[in-house]
Amino acid sequence: MIIRLLKIEWLKLKNYKTFWIILALLVACVVGINYVYFELVSSKNQASGVVNMVLGTPFQFPDVWHTVTQVASYMLFIPSLIVVILTTNEYNFKTHRQNVIDGLSRTEFIISKVLVIAALSIVSLLIVFLTALVFGLSSEFSYFSLANAEYLFYFFLQCFTYMSFALLLSLLLKRSGLAIALFFVYICIVENILVALINRAVSGNVLEGPGYYFLLDASDKLIPVKSLQKMMQGKNFLPPTINLLVATFVYLGLFLFLSKRKFETADL
Amino acid sequence: MPSIVTISGLTKFYGTIHALDNVSFEVPQGSVFGILGPNGSGKTTLLGIITDVVKANAGSFTFLDLPFSADMRKQVGVLLETPNFYHYLSAERNLQITAAIKGRGENDIDTVLKKVNLYERKSSKFSTFSLGMKQRLAIAAALLGNPNVLILDEPTNGLDPVGIAEIRNLITLLASEGKTIIMASHLLDEVEKVCTHVAIMKKGKLLTAGHVDEVLANEDIVEVSAADLAQLETIVNTLPELKQVKRQNGNLQLFYPIGTANMENINRHCFNNGITLSQLQLKKKSLETKFIELTN
Repeated sequence: MIIRLLKIEWLKLKNYKTFWIILALLVACVVGINYVYFELVSSKNQASGVVNMVLGTPFQFPDVWHTVTQVASYMLFIPSLIVVILTTNEYNFKTHRQNVIDGLSRTEFIISKVLVIAALSIVSLLIVFLTALVFGLSSEFSYFSLANAEYLFYFFLQCFTYMSFALLLSLLLKRSGLAIALFFVYICIVENILVALINRAVSGNVLEGPGYYFLLDASDKLIPVKSLQKMMQGKNFLPPTINLLVATFVYLGLFLFLSKRKFETADL
Repeated sequence: MPSIVTISGLTKFYGTIHALDNVSFEVPQGSVFGILGPNGSGKTTLLGIITDVVKANAGSFTFLDLPFSADMRKQVGVLLETPNFYHYLSAERNLQITAAIKGRGENDIDTVLKKVNLYERKSSKFSTFSLGMKQRLAIAAALLGNPNVLILDEPTNGLDPVGIAEIRNLITLLASEGKTIIMASHLLDEVEKVCTHVAIMKKGKLLTAGHVDEVLANEDIVEVSAADLAQLETIVNTLPELKQVKRQNGNLQLFYPIGTANMENINRHCFNNGITLSQLQLKKKSLETKFIELTN
């Protein structure tokens, strides 16, 4: 069944220009931003001296896995955008109806979308892995190591969670413009505000508290910002990784379950 | 004949609107089954429930006495409401997706495109098609895999007169191959010309369903005329068993209970009374008359 569903989705994608252009943008952005950062820390001038003091050697193994996944996690809106476009396209063209009429069960339709998300997560992971590998090997005094490679897994999980959230939002809103706008406003602004508000309400400190468990922030904090931690002189306000992992899996399951239930019970 | 689709007690609400109200009927195998009704009478809702894109509030339906599953839908060709395709893909690539979902019909793509006269445009994007071409592509998709049952919702929507005639011929051809066709339409002419069975709906309620002859003919109408219409009228009024006489367009319409009109007797009666008929014809009530009578 999985092969058949993937084949159907592939037929929808392979001649869709928008999809390939956005995918190319993802590669360009992940590589490009990491390159700018890499140049900044490896150039021999005064500014880089200061940067190195704060950051250490971010592009040497094994730190490079953390650095590249952390930078790339800011680009997660790009594959999420693909998911929003692909899902709302089905509503625009009413092909979600037609697929079911033609003999796809409603559950199969949702599974096929989750398979696309899984495939896009693997592709994103591959992009990030290769980027990290190239920058790691190009750094001075850097010898290949898979220590810290768990960040690759965290990144994969983060991709999956963001895209599942995008899928749920698209299924609920059905219209591309609205879904894209709400998705961006939520991940860029609303969530940060909510996390801070929850933290302050519980602990009195916006940087400390259970706010970090809130929706997508749980997966965000799996790959913490290193420089920020250093500036706080080692004091770590973040919940333990294992807690964040459990929270992320719970949200992921919830997004997928709600998506499935929404599509299985609604009038199409 | 065994029934292909059995519908029992289907009910659907959209908010407070009662879109379907306890609708039940059977579609016999090999029939061309027309579902008639004015706009908003629940035709598309009914077909949407059968194809699982709309959830019913109550009632059930079976396909060959089994619950209608996704796998069974693969064996049925469906055109529902509007042609739904990926705008950025060509006609051929869209049909490849349909074939992949149905798990059949991959080799049929060229054949069905030729059947609906779209073969020359098979590489054009769907978004460049006119309304009529989109509709024809949707019919092509329904024909993929040569299904034995077809569900067509307003199949001639958006087509020009030639296209309408082509589709009508196609439906007649498919019916002669023994396929069962369920067709919703508000075009009476279309239904009258091709259907063997008909169901008439209004505001979500089923008014009547059955064989076309049964639904339409609940009385015999005989049209007669003669040079002296006034004299003819007095004479026909003495005919036995006659229910009613109406004047219409220089003719007289004689209404009889169903199956009782005897043309020979009428002719003899008039001739014996000194009148020669210039016209004598048994007429079925037209679907339009029946439809307006039922839905008003």
